[in-house]
Order: sequence, then structure tokens, then C-alpha cells
Amino acid sequence: MAFREKLAWVTLGSMLIAYSIYFWLLATRFDLSRPDGPPTVAMLALFGMVTVAQVIVIAIATSILAIRAQKDANAKADERDRAIARRATGVAYVVLMVGMIVVGVVMPFSEPRWKIANAALLALVLAEAIRYVLVIVSYRRGWHG
Amino acid sequence: MAKPPIANDIRTLRFLAGEMTQADLGDRIGVTRQTIAAIEAGKYSPTLEAAFRIARVFGKPLEEVFRWEEDSSS
Repeated sequence: MAFREKLAWVTLGSMLIAYSIYFWLLATRFDLSRPDGPPTVAMLALFGMVTVAQVIVIAIATSILAIRAQKDANAKADERDRAIARRATGVAYVVLMVGMIVVGVVMPFSEPRWKIANAALLALVLAEAIRYVLVIVSYRRGWHG
Repeated sequence: MAKPPIANDIRTLRFLAGEMTQADLGDRIGVTRQTIAAIEAGKYSPTLEAAFRIARVFGKPLEEVFRWEEDSSS
């Protein structure tokens, strides 16, 4: 398995787990019925904890992978790596654009700020998840750009 | 994505070149071992430059390394 495919698995898995926990805790542990939404500081603290935990998991997993395959870890991205990354980023960009249009153009007319902020975060997570899924699929099933 | 009708004889040429490894070939043309494996398996179509580099490693013209496989649908 290519080193970059392993990294994509690690990042995708940790990201999906981390932000699933974030949105689950947001939905179940906060009073979303309050007129001004959940407390901003508490929401930011939760986001910060989840993000830091994700970064630590990725750093540890990447270090372990790099130690086990030093040559692969030190190798620069080759033409296949770059082609796969371009394809995945291009599709994710479209997803992110749609999300940002909804968040920045549609939601401000009807939704409170906390929902807009979390919708923006969800759009980012979805775009990144799609990017990593496409990277993994391209490595596994092949890519003929 | 549909697999393009391009086949290659890299595996055979590596064997004839003294069992050259995928890693050796990859090092010589500037790609990873996994990319050579993907090319051999038909999972990746190399750029024209990489295809020429591979052919040069084996001292063969491009068409002796890569070939277009015609079928009834193409």
C-alpha cells in the first residue's frame, strides 16, 4: 500500500471519528433550544478539544507509519500521487464551494450564527472526507487521468 | 473509471533485465515502487514522459513496452 494511501486512511478515520463525536456531543449535550444557541465558549472548547485530539492521533499514527517505512515516508510525491491528489482536490473543491454558498449566502437570511458556524465546519469536514475517500479509491481501484 | 485498452510488458522486461525490482525501476525513472506496481497492473496510465523513461531504461522503443489492445468495442 502506498504511503500516501496509508496517510489518507489515518486522516480520514481520525477525522470522521473526531467530528462525529463533536457533532454528536453538540446535538446531545447542549441545549439547542435556547434562543441564542449553545454557549459559544463551551462550543469552541469542544471544537478545540476534538481538533487537538485529532491532530495528536494523526501525528502519532504518521510517526509510526514513517518509522515502519522510512524510505516511503521520505520519498517525494511522484506523478501518480500528484495526479490522484489533483483529482481528489478538484472534486472536494466543488463540494466545499456548494457548502460555502449555502453557509455564506443562504443561511445568513434564516439561521442563527451558531448554526452557520457549525454548517461551515460540516461543509469543511465533508469536503475533506470526500477528498480522502477519492484518494483512497484512486489508489485502490486505479486512476487513469 | 474504465480501464484504458493499454497493456504493457514491463514485468517481462524487468525479468529479462536480470530480475530488476520494481523499486529499482522506480528509482531510475523517479516514481515509487507502488507506482510501478500500479502501472504493471494496469491501474495507472503513466505520463508520456514516464513512459519514455521506462522504455529508455530497457533500451526499447515505446511501442515495445506499451501497446494499444484493440477489441471489438473500440
